[in-house]
Amino acid sequence: NASLAERSQRIKMAAEMGLVRSSRGRHWSRALGRRLLQREGITGCGCKNAALSTSSNVFEDLGVREIEDEAAEIGTRVRALQRLVPGGEELGLERLFEETADYIEALQGQVSAMRAMSCLLDGLEREKRMMGK
Amino acid sequence: MEPRGSSGVGSGNSGTYTPEIAESLRFEEEIQSLIDPSFDASSAAGGSFTALLGLPANQAVELLHHPGPGEPPASAATDTLRLPFGCSSTFVERAARFSVFATDDSPASSSGGGLSPGLKAEPPDSDSPPTLPAPAGKPRRPSKRKECEKSKAKAVAKKSKSAEENTSAAKPAAEENTSGDKLPYVHVRARRGQATDSHSLAERARREKINARMKLLQELVPGCSKITGTALVLDEIINHVQSLQRQVEFLSMKLAAVNPRIDFSGLDHILSAECGPLAVASGCGGGASDPAMWASDTAASTGGIRRMPAPPQIWHLDVVHPQQSSTVWENNGVAHPHFLLSPATSLVGYDPASSVPLNSNRLKTEL
Repeated sequence: NASLAERSQRIKMAAEMGLVRSSRGRHWSRALGRRLLQREGITGCGCKNAALSTSSNVFEDLGVREIEDEAAEIGTRVRALQRLVPGGEELGLERLFEETADYIEALQGQVSAMRAMSCLLDGLEREKRMMGK
Repeated sequence: MEPRGSSGVGSGNSGTYTPEIAESLRFEEEIQSLIDPSFDASSAAGGSFTALLGLPANQAVELLHHPGPGEPPASAATDTLRLPFGCSSTFVERAARFSVFATDDSPASSSGGGLSPGLKAEPPDSDSPPTLPAPAGKPRRPSKRKECEKSKAKAVAKKSKSAEENTSAAKPAAEENTSGDKLPYVHVRARRGQATDSHSLAERARREKINARMKLLQELVPGCSKITGTALVLDEIINHVQSLQRQVEFLSMKLAAVNPRIDFSGLDHILSAECGPLAVASGCGGGASDPAMWASDTAASTGGIRRMPAPPQIWHLDVVHPQQSSTVWENNGVAHPHFLLSPATSLVGYDPASSVPLNSNRLKTEL
């Protein structure tokens, strides 16, 4: 029986693959798919690298210090968003916003499905245990 | 019919009395006179306020008869223009000279900085009108055409610039516009005091598109519509995306924890094959399965997790209530307390959406 971390990693990859499959044709979907296939060789057995970058602060990576200029402020945020949305780094502002909107919707659907699934399984577990006793 | 009623279009004009407005004012007088035979055209006050109303009314009339976006203006204006109030030939002629181009996405045309730049009336075949109105219209037309040329300069790339004096340039441009449905041009009216060269017009159209997209994003992200300031809005959007990604990660951890037997060990199959075969719970190797069964499950809400086989104890609820489950997957944001069971049974409780992220923080620190 594999460890919790490994299994959760694999479940996460499967979830992301589901994201990709259900939103085919979208730029972010293709980029995410590519990223997953890349990492598959590396993380097939459970590495720490996640396809979805979840660093706590996207701005830190950009090396941001003081931002006074308004245009610079917006610029750094746009760059941060580009890193968050798969494939965003190649996109211009207008396309980036389009892709972000679609990506947000897909993520919300994914989260909702996973939440429902975990509740279902959770309840079933409890039910089984109660039946067993 | 009240042509002076508010139309919501072009109400952001400044008080300038451009030749365009003067002509539309006369247009409006004609409308008025057609409606009310006793209407005295000379008594219609030509104040700037009326001038303001004249323009939107004109466009409103056009909009009333041609509500479809991207409709070929030339044919529509000349062939199908049907007015409920009388049919004066000069009136029709003048109405035919105005048409409405819509942008490719409707939010852009209604939102964006000022309202007037969104739509611009434009004469499609101003060059070869068979019946000219009174000669008084002529001196006004060259100036109007120049203005139209300027605004179309953005649409028709660079070549209209050189052909600005050449009035026939407008005709091929119009034909180009009407024949190709693929490229709806954005016609932007230059605001007072703003540059009207093709570069700044293009820049402004681009800006408005971007603002429209950002507005859509604001509506998607909860609580973002109240925020003013681009930087803060972008902050919120970034936070939202990050929180969603973290939720996916947390939930996959939770799913792994809730049932120790769940595992996707056949990930190679999932990731590489065209129709991902099922990964199996209970830790068996992933094998080829029936893709046709899952081919229909393409709603975003199902996700990859759903591709698990059906050991009886897990899925019997699905079989019993197949209808319910499908609607549940589709209702993303709705709390479903009676998830898959009858309301009486409370075994499968559904955590309200807010409590899960709280748990996630606690869980993460524990681990």
